[in-house]
Amino acid sequence: MNLSKDAFGAGDHIEVEVLIIGSGAGGSPTAALLAEAGFDVLIVEEGEWYDQGSIKPFSLDQMEKQYRSGGVTVALGRPSIAYTEGRCAGGGTEVNSGLYKRPPHSMLTKWRDGYQIQNLELDDIDDIADEIERDLSVSYVPGESTLASQALARGATSLGWQNGEIPRWMSYPERGDALSGKRQSMTETYLPRAINAGAILSTGVRVERLEMTDATAGAAVVERRDGKAGRISFRHVFVCCGAIHTPALLQRSGIKGNIGKSLAVHPTVKLSAKFSEEINVDNDVPVHQVTEFFPHSSFGGSASQAGLLALALNDNWRAFRGQITDWRRMSVYYAAITSEGRGRVISVPGMRDPVVTYRLTKNDRTLLAISLGRLALAMLAAGAEAVYPSFRGAPVVRRPADVARLEAGFSATKASVMSVHLCSTVPMGEDPRLCGADSFGRVHGTTNVRVNDASLLPSAPGVNPQATVMALVVRNVRRFIEENVHA
Amino acid sequence: MPSRSSASRVTPYADALLARDLPALDPQRRGEAVEFVAIRVADLPAPMKLAVGILAVVFDLGLSLGSRRTYISVSSRLPIPFVSEYPRLIRSLAFAYVWEKWPDTRPDGGRAQVEA
Repeated sequence: MNLSKDAFGAGDHIEVEVLIIGSGAGGSPTAALLAEAGFDVLIVEEGEWYDQGSIKPFSLDQMEKQYRSGGVTVALGRPSIAYTEGRCAGGGTEVNSGLYKRPPHSMLTKWRDGYQIQNLELDDIDDIADEIERDLSVSYVPGESTLASQALARGATSLGWQNGEIPRWMSYPERGDALSGKRQSMTETYLPRAINAGAILSTGVRVERLEMTDATAGAAVVERRDGKAGRISFRHVFVCCGAIHTPALLQRSGIKGNIGKSLAVHPTVKLSAKFSEEINVDNDVPVHQVTEFFPHSSFGGSASQAGLLALALNDNWRAFRGQITDWRRMSVYYAAITSEGRGRVISVPGMRDPVVTYRLTKNDRTLLAISLGRLALAMLAAGAEAVYPSFRGAPVVRRPADVARLEAGFSATKASVMSVHLCSTVPMGEDPRLCGADSFGRVHGTTNVRVNDASLLPSAPGVNPQATVMALVVRNVRRFIEENVHA
Repeated sequence: MPSRSSASRVTPYADALLARDLPALDPQRRGEAVEFVAIRVADLPAPMKLAVGILAVVFDLGLSLGSRRTYISVSSRLPIPFVSEYPRLIRSLAFAYVWEKWPDTRPDGGRAQVEA
């Protein structure tokens, strides 16, 4: 049920106590906790509301409706890296894999020390993670996982590599199976909570810029669904537009500092594996991951409907095209690395969207090659008849000895490198050389502009980041409530 | 919604590229796939749309020179950074559309027997 409403009505100006821009994994928990604490909250979301189940997952229809720019967004570089962002009520939580990994302690400690993040206590984060896991019904699939998922686990296990099923924020019916889960995304959890507590969600509203007077933001200038302009006055603002559009909005508002200069992603390369049995699942992703090489790299399964398989074979189409007829026996897998590289988000005057760049380091390129080779090895060990890596000129891998040819022939510039994990464009902490926001997300140099999303993560965490984002978001907003309610 | 007109620049090259890559794809399906590509290009982020618009003009110029088949064959395999992304983008979008909509399409674009 669509819970959004037109907050403007016939007017063009609204006054609220707290404006939250964006309704994804950052904005929705922020809104729920603030509304429950008695704040007057308005959430604005550029995309629209779609009910769970109304759109086929991982389809082109979903990309058109729930992704920014139909899912065709690119960070320029050599190679350019394709990335995707959700743009709908609930943001990326509506479209991602739903896999849940707690924030690794090693990463939190590294961030706390390296970026001088105050009061980042591991026990507190663990307690928050417990809470989030209850709220999102984080659980394992009942019974057996899909054949594509089992294949990855089988391959890794036979090589002696650490692997396991990753839980998801899914609720399953009694006696349900791996494909019967319902995603506990923001439109199912924190957004209804926020609205029940009095918050208003207004979709189809894009914030153009914040009006700043010295260090204080007083209003947001917006464009509404019908193209009309509007203005929202507030006392506090939380910018939760994700790692690309949060820094872009801050830059458009004239806020300077470490904003948009340190984009971090998990660069990912893919391959298609063909088996003797039908393993393709066209509306879900595998739940197993290979963690043997964490934190340097991890392997998992991707959405694999026939259109996406054609996409995966596309880099070497002339050689691989014959395989597309066997799509039911094929599935796509990925190797994601923890990158040393960084990118930028640059807002260009007169342009609606920012320029995004990313630069892989030499080590990143080497690690991508090694990781793709290891993934191919795992698929062969799982019983794959053949493996088709996604890069121009790639060899077909039919036996372990072929992996050396794969690695030797791999070049990142020939590959379809992509990422769905974007973060670190407004890193949090007190170190002024590195950080765009303070230890609780208030943008340095401002009095009332806060960031509360993946932008705050000082680096890519090496695991699916949503749990880490949400834990930090809850921590930060609780601090805000303490300070402002007590004041 | 993205405007169709701003994307129509990609149509001639996309049509020619698909005609070469998927020669048995019937014209109606090819037209549908090309339209899908055009709509997606119209919805690209502004900097990308600008770059694609420039590349579309350059690639279209080549279509009017000499053998169209040879030109498509060469231009779609240019190893030039950024420039090579243009045919790759078109191909990716079109292939994803064709096989999502008609998953049993043959590698040459022809209809599978069961569909006939």
